Amino acid sequence: MVWGSMIAWYLFLAGASAGAFLTSAFVEAKYPDSVKMRVAGRIIAPIFLGIGLLMLMLDAEAGLHNPLRFFYLVMNPGSVMTLGVYFICVFMPVSVIAALLEVLRRPVPKWLTWVGIVSAFCVAAYTGFLLGVVKAYPLWNNAILPVLFVVSALSAGLAATSLVGLVTDRERFERMWLIKKSHVILSAIEMVVLVTMLIIVSSGSAEGAASVASLVSGQYAPMFWGGLVLLGLVAPFAIEGYPVFITRKVETSTTSMVVSVIGEGGVLVGGFMLRLLVILAALPVMYL
Amino acid sequence: MQEKEALMRCNPTRRTFLKGTAATAALAAVGTCSVTAWQAERAEAAGAKTQGASLCNGCSSKCGLVATTLDGRLWTVEGMEAHPYSKGTLCGRGHGTAQWAYSDGRLTQPMKRAEDGSFAPISWDDAFAEIGAKVQEILAEAGPEALAIVQDPRPSGKYYSKRFMNALGSANVYTHAAACNLSKESGIQEATGASNYSVDFPNTKMVVFIGRSYGDGIRPSSVKSLAGAADKGARVVIVDPRLNNTGIFATDWVPIKPGTDIALLLGIANVLVANDLYDHEFVEQFTVGFPEFAAQVAEYTPAWAEGVCDVPADTIVELAEALAAAAPACAIEPSWRAAFGCAYQNSFETARVVCAVNALLGCWGQKGGALITSSPKVGDVDPAKFPEVPKPTAKRVGDAEFPLALSGTGTNLAVLNGCNDGTVQGVFFYNSNAVQGYAQPAKWREALAKAKLVVTIDVQMSETALASDYVLPECTVLERMELPEFIGGKKHYVALRTPVIDRVHPETKSCDEIFVGLAEACGVGQYFPFTVEELADAQLATVGTSLDAVREAGIVELADPGFQFGTPAFKTPTEKFQFTSAKVAEAGLNPVIGYVPRLVEPAAGEFSLIGGKQGIHSHTMTLNLEALNAISREYQLERLWMAASDAAELGIADGDTVELSSSEASGRVAVKVTERLKPGVLFLPTHYGSTSPYLTRAQGFGLNMMDFIPLHLEPAVGSTMSQEVAVTVRKVED
Amino acid sequence: MTRYGMLINTKKCVGCYACRIACQMVNGLDHEEAFIKFDEVEQGTYPNVYAEVVPVQCMHCEDAPCEAVCPTHATYTTDSGVVLVDEGKCIGCKYCMAACPYGVRVQIEQTGVIEKCRFCWYEGEPGNPPRCVNTCVSGARIFGDLDDPESEICQEIARTNAQPLASDLTAAKIYYVR
Repeated sequence: MVWGSMIAWYLFLAGASAGAFLTSAFVEAKYPDSVKMRVAGRIIAPIFLGIGLLMLMLDAEAGLHNPLRFFYLVMNPGSVMTLGVYFICVFMPVSVIAALLEVLRRPVPKWLTWVGIVSAFCVAAYTGFLLGVVKAYPLWNNAILPVLFVVSALSAGLAATSLVGLVTDRERFERMWLIKKSHVILSAIEMVVLVTMLIIVSSGSAEGAASVASLVSGQYAPMFWGGLVLLGLVAPFAIEGYPVFITRKVETSTTSMVVSVIGEGGVLVGGFMLRLLVILAALPVMYL
Repeated sequence: MQEKEALMRCNPTRRTFLKGTAATAALAAVGTCSVTAWQAERAEAAGAKTQGASLCNGCSSKCGLVATTLDGRLWTVEGMEAHPYSKGTLCGRGHGTAQWAYSDGRLTQPMKRAEDGSFAPISWDDAFAEIGAKVQEILAEAGPEALAIVQDPRPSGKYYSKRFMNALGSANVYTHAAACNLSKESGIQEATGASNYSVDFPNTKMVVFIGRSYGDGIRPSSVKSLAGAADKGARVVIVDPRLNNTGIFATDWVPIKPGTDIALLLGIANVLVANDLYDHEFVEQFTVGFPEFAAQVAEYTPAWAEGVCDVPADTIVELAEALAAAAPACAIEPSWRAAFGCAYQNSFETARVVCAVNALLGCWGQKGGALITSSPKVGDVDPAKFPEVPKPTAKRVGDAEFPLALSGTGTNLAVLNGCNDGTVQGVFFYNSNAVQGYAQPAKWREALAKAKLVVTIDVQMSETALASDYVLPECTVLERMELPEFIGGKKHYVALRTPVIDRVHPETKSCDEIFVGLAEACGVGQYFPFTVEELADAQLATVGTSLDAVREAGIVELADPGFQFGTPAFKTPTEKFQFTSAKVAEAGLNPVIGYVPRLVEPAAGEFSLIGGKQGIHSHTMTLNLEALNAISREYQLERLWMAASDAAELGIADGDTVELSSSEASGRVAVKVTERLKPGVLFLPTHYGSTSPYLTRAQGFGLNMMDFIPLHLEPAVGSTMSQEVAVTVRKVED
Repeated sequence: MTRYGMLINTKKCVGCYACRIACQMVNGLDHEEAFIKFDEVEQGTYPNVYAEVVPVQCMHCEDAPCEAVCPTHATYTTDSGVVLVDEGKCIGCKYCMAACPYGVRVQIEQTGVIEKCRFCWYEGEPGNPPRCVNTCVSGARIFGDLDDPESEICQEIARTNAQPLASDLTAAKIYYVR
């Protein structure tokens, strides 16, 4: 594969950044009292994206040696990467300003939040389209991948923000049922979307089938089942779903907190695994 | 040439940015123009683009090349248009070996081996003095017959090594041939009086290759000729256990049991004689011994041949009939090392049978047939300037035991035997990695350890160098001037290897400088009172040209030898094509061309092991070269080939590691599973498995086939019998 | 219009790697960096086997996916149809490497730039012919103008019915006889 873990980190962090911003907007709207979580989301967004962009630049060696060349990135609107740059050019300053305002305890204007929401969605989606338009790799070149990446981005952003809420403001966090429900539902949706994508890719071409096989039963199977499916999807689904849909009671024990941390952490690990595996397992179409 | 100019033109506006090489280096780093452009601009900036003609050293073809340097450093090489072997192109190893000067695996100064086997630098003066003293000691104790030299012929090397040895009074001059084409050349010599011939590809209708692959052991002109013949619809038959890289030109692949080509050919001869398909006129007028041959060949029916070589009798009959129909515009190709250059007990005889089939087809000298052409002869040079060396009195060691070995080459394995029995005590190697390639390395090392003096002249620390007391560094091919190279054929040429770059390592010397130094140190300097340029000019004057003329053009066509189609003059003792040979009879073998079996028959569960060249490598000398090694590694060229059906049976998958074992050695290597190989046969490329710690890229990469081969010599010929072995394989975990 | 293309006759290629090394030398590439790669294809089962070596390099596609995805326009196509890289614009993001279905874009270690075969382009013209063509020992390669019906390459494409490797992937300008 041409790309490796650096780009997986970027795709993950950019997605999680967008997810975190969206989470903070959601929290602001539904739980105006949950200040700590909102602020967490606002701060996580630019930091994750910043780290992600750093990864991206470190991977782009020719640009790293000649940083001025990065200005050329806006040149080709026909390229999803250039589109992504446009989105980031909006989202990054917006998220930085929003975070600064939060830190300075100043109100974030509604219009700024809305600009941030739209650009965050665009950033989350573009990381999927970036790969999705590449015809050479059936694992990427399908309509489901961008959806999967968006769902995963929301989930990861939510998890990152929730982790802060869980640790710093647990009492309030445990009562944010909408957040918890969204979490469970996102995990469920991601599972369905993932399965759908694998089935479609697998049945579409021999190379696609080989890519999927390498994930589910080949060299990447341990990472796929252990990292992505179990830790990233099933565990969070069960850990969050049990109190939300079965016991319906507010947990206060330390054990439950540890379990929750594992659940949220699992989402983050799974989100990274998803990008890494999608990059690594992609096999090119045969030209011979 | 147009292309080169196009590449070289430089945009003046861009050039104004440049202020010398420092600026260009910066330009390269920031990359403001293309890769190609900055290369070219570097030259423009330094104002130093030069071109020079020279000769490749990638193999013994020594193709003409044109080298372009930028700022004194080699940039590109191209095949020389006028050279009959390159015809304007160069193969992969030509490009790879051209870069040798810059290889990090080079010897940069003379080395001397210490008691503990390690090597330390020594000055040229001390090395010469110590070698000279040792040689004097050997001369005093055992006489000049105890000195020998082994060399893989190169323009200067073949002259200087022989002159040096002869000056010392020894006739013991050998080439690498015993591990190359000795059997084949000796066999052809006995039958035709010439040691080689060529196929007239432009006119041929059918050609049969026995093991040889123009697509693997590449000479550009050969590939072009064959491609041309294939284009014109010639039938091209490849007889080889492996579908080699010449397969793309072939109409037929005849997979055969290794070492049994002789049976197939005798089967064809049988059909030609029994069905009266042979050329009566040729046989009656130009041959001796046909009645004896015919009587004997009657036994070798296609059915018998099938039993030996595993080629269906029907195929043999069909091939014979097709050849007869195409005759005389057809031939069995003469081959080189391949299947009967030095491979089996029957290699010499196989070569004779090849010639016999051509004789039955009446294709000798005919359009589209087998051509024996002439070579230019260098006339006598002024003895006052180039003093004549007295002829050594003693015969060459090994000639008595191996009387059929071609006199021009001898068998170098006589040196190995000689070291073991004490008759040879001082050995020189020039451009020769005998230890790694000419017979089992362990046996060579054991033998050389018994010698009083071993000196190796090479560009790198080869396995032979490691088994030497002194190692003398030669400069690489494009850094040196050599004697003229005379080229025979339908037309005659002379070409020249000239330095096109300065010596990268100042402590290296050219072949002539080294031999002159050795001669002076050994007390025979009086035979070398001339420079290589003076000798070259004198030699060239005898063929009507001059050093300046050849240096300028790179190659000069000599007087037309007047080649004509028609039955050639067979320079045998009988002046005829020889179906029987008195010399073969004297050597104690069957004088009539006939059947000899291979020596080692693989038993059930064992495999035959065949070797072969790859287009990018030459013997064992190129494996460490950066450009070529990178290809071998990227494409895993070191792998052992195994037939898919055998692999399935043994549970071996492509890429698995196996342990290959013979009576002599075992080693691990990855497997390439292929349909291109006859079941029961394994193919191992013969360039790998270096053991020299100085050759970091080559060491431990792949296996060396010669490690697996028992030391045994072909009777009366002295070839190394490089494929007389049975091996086993088993899968191992990495 | 001039539209440069190449014909590679695998029925003549013996797989000697000369083109690869000649290309490396003229372009000053490292030994591990190559613009030309080789696919070995084996068809059939013993003893009815056909084996060929298929040299693969930038196909100079009419619809070059590498150019489409290049965010900086570092990859562009000349008027004569040669796909080039402007090294001064390349950031080394490798998007082109991912997009190329033939896997023939190469990162140059020294600069980080993603390069590829450029038909030996220099100062407004391709090589005449490119190095891989003029060193080929068996004449397996022909370079020329695909828009000139009289050109050697057009005649040979017509004679041999040469085809791009995978016309379903891109509109390539390297034609193959296989």
